Amino acid sequence: MALLQISEPGMSTAPHQHRLAAGIDLGTTNSLIATVRSGDATTLADSDGEHLLPSIVRYLQDGSVSVGQSAQAALIDDYKNTIASAKRLLGRGVEDMNTLAGVLPYEFADDTSAVPKIRTLSGDKSAIEISAEILKTLKARAEDALGGELNGVVVTVPAYFDDAQRQATKDAARLADLNVYRLLNEPTAAAVAYGLDQGECVDEKIIAVYDLGGGTFDISILRLNRGVFEVLATGGDSALGGDDFDHVIAEWILQQLGENQAVNDQKNAKKLRQILIEARRVKEALSHAETVMVSVDGFEESFSHDQFVELVEPLIKKTLFACRRALRDAELDKDDIMDVVMVGGSTRMPIIRERVGEFFEQPPLVDIDPDKVVAVGAAIQADLLAGNKPDSDMLLLDIIPLSLGLETYGGLVEKVIARNTTIPVAKAQEFTTFKDNQNAMTIHVLQGERETVEENRSLAKFTLRDIPAMVAGAARIKVTFQVDADGLLNVSAEEQTTGAKAKIEVKPSYGLSDLEIETMITDSMTNAKADMEARKLREQQVEADRTLEALDSAMASDGDALLSDDEKKTLLDVRTVLLAEKESGTTEAIETAIKAMESAAAFYVARRMDGNIRTAMAGQDINKFKN
Amino acid sequence: MMSLNFTQNYFELFSLSAQFSLDRSLLARNFRELQAKYHPDRFVNESDQERRVAVQTTGYINEANEALKSPRLRAQYLLELKDVDFELCDSTHDMPFLMAQMETREALEAAIEANDALDQVDKIGQQVKQDKQALEDNFQQNLEADQLELAKDAVLKMKFYERLSDEVKRLQEKLEDEMFA
Repeated sequence: MALLQISEPGMSTAPHQHRLAAGIDLGTTNSLIATVRSGDATTLADSDGEHLLPSIVRYLQDGSVSVGQSAQAALIDDYKNTIASAKRLLGRGVEDMNTLAGVLPYEFADDTSAVPKIRTLSGDKSAIEISAEILKTLKARAEDALGGELNGVVVTVPAYFDDAQRQATKDAARLADLNVYRLLNEPTAAAVAYGLDQGECVDEKIIAVYDLGGGTFDISILRLNRGVFEVLATGGDSALGGDDFDHVIAEWILQQLGENQAVNDQKNAKKLRQILIEARRVKEALSHAETVMVSVDGFEESFSHDQFVELVEPLIKKTLFACRRALRDAELDKDDIMDVVMVGGSTRMPIIRERVGEFFEQPPLVDIDPDKVVAVGAAIQADLLAGNKPDSDMLLLDIIPLSLGLETYGGLVEKVIARNTTIPVAKAQEFTTFKDNQNAMTIHVLQGERETVEENRSLAKFTLRDIPAMVAGAARIKVTFQVDADGLLNVSAEEQTTGAKAKIEVKPSYGLSDLEIETMITDSMTNAKADMEARKLREQQVEADRTLEALDSAMASDGDALLSDDEKKTLLDVRTVLLAEKESGTTEAIETAIKAMESAAAFYVARRMDGNIRTAMAGQDINKFKN
Repeated sequence: MMSLNFTQNYFELFSLSAQFSLDRSLLARNFRELQAKYHPDRFVNESDQERRVAVQTTGYINEANEALKSPRLRAQYLLELKDVDFELCDSTHDMPFLMAQMETREALEAAIEANDALDQVDKIGQQVKQDKQALEDNFQQNLEADQLELAKDAVLKMKFYERLSDEVKRLQEKLEDEMFA
């Protein structure tokens, strides 16, 4: 392999000027870079032989930055300066953080800018800057391996990413000094990796891409036709992933511990982490064994695959619901799907393969490493775009995942470009003035499927001035939306009844350089109501965990000293209710149980507050009880 | 790059005859051929100007494709080619039609409360589909008879069926999800 690398320097000496190009899978949990060498697309390893780069960035006091494994090691001890899952924050506004921050342990800077920043030892960092560090690391890795500067890259994004998220991804690449040929949808990249467009004697092929990562789930339906890839529909759940399967096992272990040992075993976070690590090991071991011995801190018990399946059933069902919905959005039946591609490390679980196979009535494709398949596809596309394969007729046509529209009278949204429209696309719509001699008009651009302004994502707001004086309704203001091949939007508006034309261009951006653009970011990650509800539920569950943890650690430290046996029993009863609701309750039920827990523990908090144990409550956990 | 002739109408662009009935597979084939030629991905290493032209060109091709794929937009476009104007506030004034629309909406509302809700919604969906087809036939006849105002009225009515179909689809999805949950 090393010899082949040398024989392919890719620089100007080559007869047909081979350009160095790479594909990057910028993931929530892990990132990868791949390139085509000697006709084969392969992911590149770091000096330790690791292909997967954990998407974790740590900022150190001296201003230096560590990325990947080394940052991961500090995730627990230096959690404030070590940022994981920055992808979830890309293209998100400050207001989104109120919902997201609940599950993120970072301190956000009280900044007035539209882009939220995390406070670290070496300054406030936006998700764009954090992602750029990951990209820089990958870039260096590729340039070391290829022995030259990259001419360009293809970076993958989830198919449902909206304009702001795509723009932010591109800004991150720009910051890492990468030339982005193209942003590519992750499922499309996976299909490219499998070469599904090159099927023999089939004119048209419909495929499904089932992508279960660490923390997200995506399903996409694609149509391939002689090298042309079209995304027909996408769906999923941004708060469902392989980690949830670990949590399910961890919960089971906790329950067992609760029966066999004192309930206080949940007391510290370290123990919980230990249990989570064991849970993950058990999950992975169950991919190859019927039963696995669970062993944590003296606790030993066997756990079977059947038990596992029973516990994760609701999670699997949820993903299959999303598959049904995506099929419906694409106006297709299961029978229309000719191939199912598996993406994401979590699809290694045999039960997932089995159930997905049952659902689509065919065995899914699993030949390519599900962690690497997206990067491999991106590399193939990058090689093609670099011009290294002049004979290929592959062409990837993407769609816009969310409708684009304008605010009209009464806070309603008029759609100008419907979702699933093939891009690039340009569309114009005419509007008029509603008052005599109105000389200015504000244009508010939104993205989403809902009917009212509040329920959609605000992308940009700008004012068209110098409209010639006319009676109401006489002006004709033409607003043009242009979406390029990356899914990025440009809006322009002009008044066109009179010779005098007013015109303004706006490029909505959540990037670093265009902070001034007036932005209003509403609502949250997914527009689907069900997704919202799932997330609220998830947030309440996390909240419940925190409350439980706070109580447990308080009781462990001074429960015996401050509480009578009766009081202890009362608290433990309320705790049991909360634990049960957290497992299977609705969002509201969990919320009620948390409130009940808080009010039941109020006397205990008060007792801890006064008296001489003030030091004991210095930990942040107890803050919870002050509310 | 060979630049695209923007003075062609959408039908000419895809080498189709300007009529309401559509050969979908021919449109799809010609669409892909044009895309393969003009898509920005073919020009990533070219000048900024060439790339901008590519974006605009494929934008036009996509817009044309969307306009022809949808029966309502295709119908509207055919009338626009005959200089019939469509204003934002245009709507049909056919009262019996509007009443019938309201009744269908009410029937949908009642259907979701029924025990066999999904069957009932499906049935209404079938009826909507038939009515929509009848309206499209009506449009075609009026277009051929050069009854442009009547044809325009049919186009305006198609919008109502679009919304109705969306609503039916939404309800079917909701009911099915409830069944599977």
